[in-house]
Amino acid sequence: MSQEESDISLIIAQIVQKLKGSNLYAQLERQAWASLQRPEIKLESLKEDIKEFFKISGLFPLPSHPAAPPEHLKEPLVYMRKAQGSWEKRILKSLNSMCTELSIPLARKRPVGEQKELLNKWNEMGTDEPDLSLFRPVYAPKDFLEVLINLRNPNYENGDSLSFRTHLGLIQVPLKVKDIPELKECFIELGLNTGQLGIDDSTQVPPELFENEHVRIGQKVLAEQDSAAAQQYVRQGSPTALRAELWALILNISSQPEDILYYEQLKTNVIQHDLLVDSLIYKDVKLTASNDDYYFVFEDYLYQVLLCFSRDTSVLSHFAYNSASPPKSYIRGKLGLEEYAVFYPPNGKSNVIASSIAPLCFLYHEPSKLYQIFREMYVRFFFRLHSISSHPSGIVSLCLLFETLLQTYLPQLFYHLREIGAQPLRISFKWMVRAFSGYLATDQLLLLWDRILGYNSLEILAVLAAAVFAFRAVNLMEVTSLAAAEAVLADLSTLKVMPLLQIFLFATVT
Amino acid sequence: MSRVSVPCHVKGTVALQVGDVRTSHGRPGVLVIDVTFPSVAPFELQEITFKNYYTAFLSIRVRQHTSMHTPAKWVTCLRDHCLMPNPHSEEGAQDYVSLFKHQSPSMTFPKWLSHPVPCEQPVPLLEGLPDPSRVSSEVQQMWALTEMIRASHTSARIGRFDVDGCYDLNLLSYT
Repeated sequence: MSQEESDISLIIAQIVQKLKGSNLYAQLERQAWASLQRPEIKLESLKEDIKEFFKISGLFPLPSHPAAPPEHLKEPLVYMRKAQGSWEKRILKSLNSMCTELSIPLARKRPVGEQKELLNKWNEMGTDEPDLSLFRPVYAPKDFLEVLINLRNPNYENGDSLSFRTHLGLIQVPLKVKDIPELKECFIELGLNTGQLGIDDSTQVPPELFENEHVRIGQKVLAEQDSAAAQQYVRQGSPTALRAELWALILNISSQPEDILYYEQLKTNVIQHDLLVDSLIYKDVKLTASNDDYYFVFEDYLYQVLLCFSRDTSVLSHFAYNSASPPKSYIRGKLGLEEYAVFYPPNGKSNVIASSIAPLCFLYHEPSKLYQIFREMYVRFFFRLHSISSHPSGIVSLCLLFETLLQTYLPQLFYHLREIGAQPLRISFKWMVRAFSGYLATDQLLLLWDRILGYNSLEILAVLAAAVFAFRAVNLMEVTSLAAAEAVLADLSTLKVMPLLQIFLFATVT
Repeated sequence: MSRVSVPCHVKGTVALQVGDVRTSHGRPGVLVIDVTFPSVAPFELQEITFKNYYTAFLSIRVRQHTSMHTPAKWVTCLRDHCLMPNPHSEEGAQDYVSLFKHQSPSMTFPKWLSHPVPCEQPVPLLEGLPDPSRVSSEVQQMWALTEMIRASHTSARIGRFDVDGCYDLNLLSYT
């Protein structure tokens, strides 16, 4: 085999290894066997034919170039990698200074008595009221936004003064973002002629027109356990009764006994070791739960899932495609000795927003299943909201997409808001970075997250943000300050997301 | 078939520009890079690999020696090969690229690949058995693949994050 072929073979072997044992693998195997029986398939040219097809059809991203180093796979643009590195250093410094100021170790083994105590109150950690006043979050969303605003491509000729080439918004890097014609093509199932849950299931619409048939199809998809069909299906929204199973099918989560065992092992890790980040998690959960009428009932679940998540070393594998890198530390007294190097926290994430778990609590009540679903959603989607990268679903691209949509299709509004010192991104950033969790009504949020799963992209968050501004444009044109603009957009709990998206994409005169 | 990298000398870029470089203000959009192969016997070039840095289109011209008597000619191998689909945005700007000897135009591929069909009753293979040596080499390669899979053990699912039961940490490291 040539070098190229053995590289591809190794990647294929790795993919097969990962798929093994999953439902998807069995489906693929069945299809492959059935296809092989067909007379027009020539076994001797099978491999070459498939390779050629992959190249030409553009359906599958090719394996990365053999000369590309691992950091190129995390993030291809050097200046973005550098910016992410500096940002991470700031976070490390913040954590370290918290350690030294409060004289609390990063990690310590709990004494046996304390372990027993924690085990006893595992299901009611919310009743605890520890003094967390001295702990501050590692960073605030607006700090992160400032870093994104200051991103610059060293090769981009912009000039210092404002010119027609300067971006009018806050984001100044020239990433490729879709315009409305491209978005219409991408989100074609959200069009006016296609039935949607969130629109065509409202009380005025007779269920025979769309809803009944859609539910029937959903049940069929579940019966056949067809993961790809499920992903296609939820683009039109998922019926409430089927959503938990459909999402699990799309994410390839099935609760096997070993998954439950794994979760129990993570719980044991939490009991045995106390981490500084635990206090930060506590603080974040208290904030999330107490701020929201819907989420407070899930407070205990949030602690359990987040504490276990921070001990889960399997999360480390997602750093291969995340521009971020996990913080490193050394066992006390063994500074610099590589055999005593560890990651901190064990999963490498020093920040996780509890708000991204809370909506899932409505769907999954069994802790280990809730945990698996959250973990998979995090390593597939939500991590992109917290690291600096050029990925189309990364937070930088989402911010630029939002600003470009607003600027292109609502130029008067955009100009007016800039003039009064209310750059639109300063208001919409917090919505996008939390995937709208805590801002929309829960049923609306779940309809939105259906589309995130269905389209395997976070771009819909930016489109929705622009659609919200479009919806409240009349009021926004009348305000004269940032505070007033924020007041107009403070309450999104009454919004219906699907009509907003549909109107913005398909019914606005461009 | 083994591949060997050919030592080459990459010269600095030269801008193609009309007029005096010092007085005209426009930034040249075309740069030329000369690559020479000093003291190397004639070879057959299979692949060119490089890392892009904001080049949108690439053309490659090669000076070929055909025989002792005719002078060497310049031949265009690649014209305006697109590296960045949108030159004003970052797509492809810093990618690693390989160009192969046979950058063939899109060929037609067998019909069954473009129209995959759902499961049907298996049809008995009637006419023309495939060449046994080809099949056996394909089967051998698939066997090697399965061996590779078996050889890479499933890593322990429950990963340990501590070192010998110890996870006492002081501070984070900045390296």
